[in-house]
Amino acid sequence: MTATSAPARSGPVTRSPGLAAARLLGLELRHNAMLWMMPVAIALFWFTAGRKIMATPPLWSLRAAGTQLSGVLAFASPVAGAAAWMGSRENRRRTTDLVSITARPRPGRLLAIWAATTCWALVAYLACVIVVYGVTAHQATWGGPLWWPAVVAAATLPALAALGLAAGSLLPGRFTAPVVAIGAFFVLALSTQLIQGSQSYWQISPIVTGAWDSPPDPEAGTFYAYVPDLPIAQVMFLTGLTAAVLGALALPTGSGLRSVRRSAVAITAAGLLAAGAAVTVTGTGRLDAHGMIAIPALHDAASDRPLRYTPVCGHTAIPVCLNPAYASYLPATEAALAPVLGQIAGLPGAPARISQAAATYQQGRGNGVGIRLAGSRISGAPPVFHMLLPIQLLGPVLTTPELVRQERSITGPSIVASVTGDGPGASQAQHAVTTALLMAAGAVPPHLPSPAAPTTSRSGPPPGAGSGDERYVVPPPGSPAYAAARRFAALPAAVRHGWLTQHLAALRAGRISLVQLP
Amino acid sequence: MNVEITGLTRRFGRTTAVAGVDLRAGPGVFGLLGPNGAGKTSLLRMMATAIPPTSGRLLLLGHDPLRYGPRREIRRRLGYLPQSLGYYRGFTVREFVEYFALLKEMPAGRIPLAVAAAVDRVGLGDQSRAKLRTLSGGMLRRVGIAQAIVNEPELLLLDEPTAGLDPEQRGAFRALLRALGQGATIVVSTDLGEDGGAACPQVALRDRGKIIFHGTPGDLTARGEGHGTGDAPLERGYSAVLAAARP
Repeated sequence: MTATSAPARSGPVTRSPGLAAARLLGLELRHNAMLWMMPVAIALFWFTAGRKIMATPPLWSLRAAGTQLSGVLAFASPVAGAAAWMGSRENRRRTTDLVSITARPRPGRLLAIWAATTCWALVAYLACVIVVYGVTAHQATWGGPLWWPAVVAAATLPALAALGLAAGSLLPGRFTAPVVAIGAFFVLALSTQLIQGSQSYWQISPIVTGAWDSPPDPEAGTFYAYVPDLPIAQVMFLTGLTAAVLGALALPTGSGLRSVRRSAVAITAAGLLAAGAAVTVTGTGRLDAHGMIAIPALHDAASDRPLRYTPVCGHTAIPVCLNPAYASYLPATEAALAPVLGQIAGLPGAPARISQAAATYQQGRGNGVGIRLAGSRISGAPPVFHMLLPIQLLGPVLTTPELVRQERSITGPSIVASVTGDGPGASQAQHAVTTALLMAAGAVPPHLPSPAAPTTSRSGPPPGAGSGDERYVVPPPGSPAYAAARRFAALPAAVRHGWLTQHLAALRAGRISLVQLP
Repeated sequence: MNVEITGLTRRFGRTTAVAGVDLRAGPGVFGLLGPNGAGKTSLLRMMATAIPPTSGRLLLLGHDPLRYGPRREIRRRLGYLPQSLGYYRGFTVREFVEYFALLKEMPAGRIPLAVAAAVDRVGLGDQSRAKLRTLSGGMLRRVGIAQAIVNEPELLLLDEPTAGLDPEQRGAFRALLRALGQGATIVVSTDLGEDGGAACPQVALRDRGKIIFHGTPGDLTARGEGHGTGDAPLERGYSAVLAAARP
């Protein structure tokens, strides 16, 4: 120790609070627990969800929704825990006396800790978003990134940091941080258990991306514009919650001047008001026809308009056209439908094009959602057959062979049936001809093993049940219709095609009986 | 007067830690002596604005610390080293001192120079980048002193500042105290009479919450002539005054 004098004070005192705040933030950034939790949060995101997200079809809506849900769940524990740990630092390290007698008010110190925690959390989350969105940008065939889901997850991080900090500073202790970390995860995960339908207040939870208990809606950003009503309410809630918690931390007596406390009261009240308003308007939401949550108070009617796009079409006998966002599915769809389309191409009344259409959504009981084709299956002149891809039906994500199998067993028969006029109330001859064409196309095996165990049946709910796309039921083996179908399928293709060209109108009108079939 | 205390009392439940203390101190080094439990730390914490008094009047640097605005002004011009120094293990010496410079709302432009000077003055210039967790107890004590003096305080309160310092460092510390005491009021609390005698022109001896002696180290030494126990003259005066004050 030396008795040298301190450097002489020179010039007028300029406190430059901005520079001091930046230096304080810099110190907190260097020593914030979130810095060490960043790899943990990123690893949690990647190993619990990242790989799963990247395995979903490259549609912006699916990837963005996955990033929101998984981002919030993966970051909840690390962020809340780190903030609680930092919030209890003064008590744990026994510096309370030392820091409490300094001129900077306690809210200022806490704000620096909160800002540093939030900064690192956002940096880590941003890294995850950049990877997911960057890869998606390379894989997606159409459309652009949906930012609202990413903004909701990003807005969750400051709120979690504020809540963790409040818990750590109000209940300082060695076990506060782990308890808060675990609690944050469970509160978020359990917050959705009370959701019943699209008019639930609990949809305000930041892990809700659309109709709860249903997989993410692929229609957003493909057929219709993304409706940001729910994300807007969620961001409003999270911002309000953050402001209310931070304001409340400045409320205790001794935190500052009366004017500072008055500001804290105002910020807390404004935050509570914003959060309360967001929850209230969320309760008025409803599932719109395009699968998104529309909130009347926040809804912009312009977002209901269908998006304009140029479909991508294949080169089968009857062209198959898909929304460009689904272009990667075209080869598989063509492979599934080409044999069937070859059977009906050129027949009178056969569709000129097979076109993918939008699905329409309807809220069912509880969290059930009904999805079906919007509009009629066949329309226009020349006629266009409209279909849904299995991915639009909110079923499980299918591999390419599964997709081919499903389209061959559901969409193929529907297309043939639309030509023969098969369906409820159709004649046995219509049913037999449909089955014959499917047998000829290889969509139905010509020799079924036994009448008791048909390979295509209604046993169990098929994927997309209730959508109007259901598996075709062939006549039972041994029945006259089945025998007629086998006989008709065994004809040379040209003979079959010639007979159909000549008699299809009569067949559709129900004027042909089984015995009249060649 | 930088410190004006009248009838200051502090109670913790049914225990009276400080009982009706009167004290006035201007620039210079003031020693607060007394045995363990005499209420030195409680008095210092009240002077540091860490805890409010239960009753009595306290004026620091001409301001009333019970009001927020004046209290903030006092805190800008205050340095305090608590008896038990808490610290952040991951901070370096420089960062820790800078942190407190920022909390004391020093002008940001002056902080780097002030931090370097404070660290140099406590003899840790070559350890300024060392993490606090790697330092010995004596070095940590010096870091505590550095954070207390970084803002060139006009009122410096040091609670047992020499605990953990070796004899050489104590000598250097006393020299530092004398230099700082040229323009500031320094109150040093210690239970070691030698520290008070060596560095403080004025000392007060406290026992059971009250001041039982106030004067120069010479006066205290004189009280021990022919009385008291201890190896050094000041220690004999210290024990003689304590013995006289106790029933």
